[in-house]
Amino acid sequence: MEASQLLQNLLNGLAIGSVYAIFALGYTLVFSILGIINFAHGAVFTLGAYFTYTLVVGQFENNGLLKGVNLFPQGSPLSGNPWAFALATLIGATVAGLVAVLVERLAFRPMRARGADPLLALVSSLGVALVIVNLIQLLVGAEIYNFPSDAYGEVRPALSFQIGERVVIVRTVQIIIFAVSLAMLAVLGYVIGRTKVGKALRAVAESPGTASLLGISVDRFILITFFLSGFLGGLAGTLVGTAFGVAGPYFGVTYGLKGLAVIVLGGLGSIPGAVVGGLVIGLAEAFVPADYSAYKDAVAFALLFVILLVRPQGLLGRVQIQKV
Amino acid sequence: MKRLALTLTLGLLAAAQAQKVATPVPIGIAVAQTSNTALLGQEQVIGARFAEKFLNARGGINGTPIRLVFQDAAGDENSAINAFQNLITKENVVGIVGPTLSQQAFAADPIAERAKVPVLGPSNTAKGIPQIGEFVARVSAPVAVVAPNAIRQALRLDPKIKKVAVLYAQNDAFSTSETGTFQETAKAQGLNVATVQKFQTTDTDFTTQVTAVLNAGVDLVIVSGLAADGGNLVKQLRQLGYKGLIIGGNGLNTSNIFSVCQRYCDGIIIAQAYSPAQPSAANQVFVKEYRAQYKKDPPQFAAQAYAGVQVMVEALRALDRKKKLAQWDLGELRTALNKQILAGRYNTPLGELRFDKDGEIIQKDFYVAQIKMKDARTGSFVFLK
Repeated sequence: MEASQLLQNLLNGLAIGSVYAIFALGYTLVFSILGIINFAHGAVFTLGAYFTYTLVVGQFENNGLLKGVNLFPQGSPLSGNPWAFALATLIGATVAGLVAVLVERLAFRPMRARGADPLLALVSSLGVALVIVNLIQLLVGAEIYNFPSDAYGEVRPALSFQIGERVVIVRTVQIIIFAVSLAMLAVLGYVIGRTKVGKALRAVAESPGTASLLGISVDRFILITFFLSGFLGGLAGTLVGTAFGVAGPYFGVTYGLKGLAVIVLGGLGSIPGAVVGGLVIGLAEAFVPADYSAYKDAVAFALLFVILLVRPQGLLGRVQIQKV
Repeated sequence: MKRLALTLTLGLLAAAQAQKVATPVPIGIAVAQTSNTALLGQEQVIGARFAEKFLNARGGINGTPIRLVFQDAAGDENSAINAFQNLITKENVVGIVGPTLSQQAFAADPIAERAKVPVLGPSNTAKGIPQIGEFVARVSAPVAVVAPNAIRQALRLDPKIKKVAVLYAQNDAFSTSETGTFQETAKAQGLNVATVQKFQTTDTDFTTQVTAVLNAGVDLVIVSGLAADGGNLVKQLRQLGYKGLIIGGNGLNTSNIFSVCQRYCDGIIIAQAYSPAQPSAANQVFVKEYRAQYKKDPPQFAAQAYAGVQVMVEALRALDRKKKLAQWDLGELRTALNKQILAGRYNTPLGELRFDKDGEIIQKDFYVAQIKMKDARTGSFVFLK
């Protein structure tokens, strides 16, 4: 493979892999605290994109109950320059985080209170996901929505540089995605590793019973975990929506499956594992030869399968030791 | 499997037996109202509703009104099959206009074939659709007839074109059929097909395909997909710096693509089986009504759906003149309607059309249009000479 092609694939893989990483972090946070997978995470990802779209555009011209509604007849104040768009993105992700909190209250807490089997909570979250997706379709239809190309101001659509005789091109939005994802990973790393909230979260993850005895409100920190998880999911949804379009109510489903693959590959419950897993899957997809790019999903999952045969605990997961 | 099909067929036949035709006369419309395919299907819904309103205002079937029964066929085969089954067994329609995609037609049309219910494909352009069975016809000209016009027009606009990239949605039967035609035409015109790239209709990230196209250094890109994926692909091609001509297949032939690729849609060349400038009286009325309501020209998918309903109604009128519809058994009428559809000549918004013995449309006029964007969200199809 030529150097230019190698670099092109690396850039493509890092951009999409970093989105997978922050999306999968949401899964991992909840799993590390509760030991269960939140299947509504993909729906929250979708919601994040729609919330931001609503703030930036404010109207849905296709099918659905909101057809014809225009929130900003004079144009949205959260559109037209990078800072306004960033603010819309943060608000969208925050609202997505609040929805995740609501999901916890509706789908997880009642099950926990009854001491139900974790599988029931998983099925319950799947039910919530389907309700959310169908609500989106009812309100705004099933069509694809695209952020206007001037939503984040006059930005060059792509950057290119020459390597030998070949040109390597990267979309500006891919660079933004990568930068935002790295920043989010750094912030999350700092919060979890260096703050009181992070310590409390780790204590709850380690042993909820002991954390409770030490005066940590387990329920409150579970809510914080869900908020962070939803925020990351919503942010990932907006990033993907910005790059590729908000591709209908179901567009979180594929990412939901991908996110599962990422956390299993990286190691269940491992935050660095989610990052590594996301980047590995992103890069694996990017290196699928162009003629076979339609099979990139199959390649990603085949890679997962192979790695799990060699390392069942995932790349950075710990082997579970049970005393008997 | 055979036993299941037999049971289903017998059930459908039994349901249809000795049943009278309802009034108003029900005609089924099974097109995509949800999923990505709804970008095309919602135009078909509009076209069909226009036909219902206009034809009923003109007396329906010699005084008996028609009633369109809509079922969402979405964008997948199962939804299309369910829609067909509901229309045939629950709604007792006399015939069906649908489904939206060729891929769905290959799955759902055999259901109608076994139940002996006439089907008119409003937008199924893949090879082999009329050959599904004797009860299957289409008002959408096959891709093999329409698509080559786009390449010929591109060569007129830029005679220096030598290298071509072809991209298509490999999980869509229509797109795979269409790309075959495009590739054959390109080779026949002496062009070098430098790269063939595949994608899925559900894809959103086309960086890999676009990079391959750019590295191939082509002068022309041909995209066969649906509006959502095809529009997104065009957008990413332009954003990454491709400056040459782009031909879009029939799946991109909708104004709904404007909101997908926005200003990057500008310049896409698309072959058409319909033009608002078509001089037939039926088309002039249709265009006038459509413009009054939507402030834009009607798209091909709306015109074809209109034509589908019109063909059914005119065939029913001919049968009603022989024997009043109220006196027919439903099963008998469906069989007679199928024969009558193939026997008639129709003056539709698509121009004059008729069918061969297989149910293949025989249509005279074809066009090529180029998308011109006014701003980020509004554009139009400008017809090229």
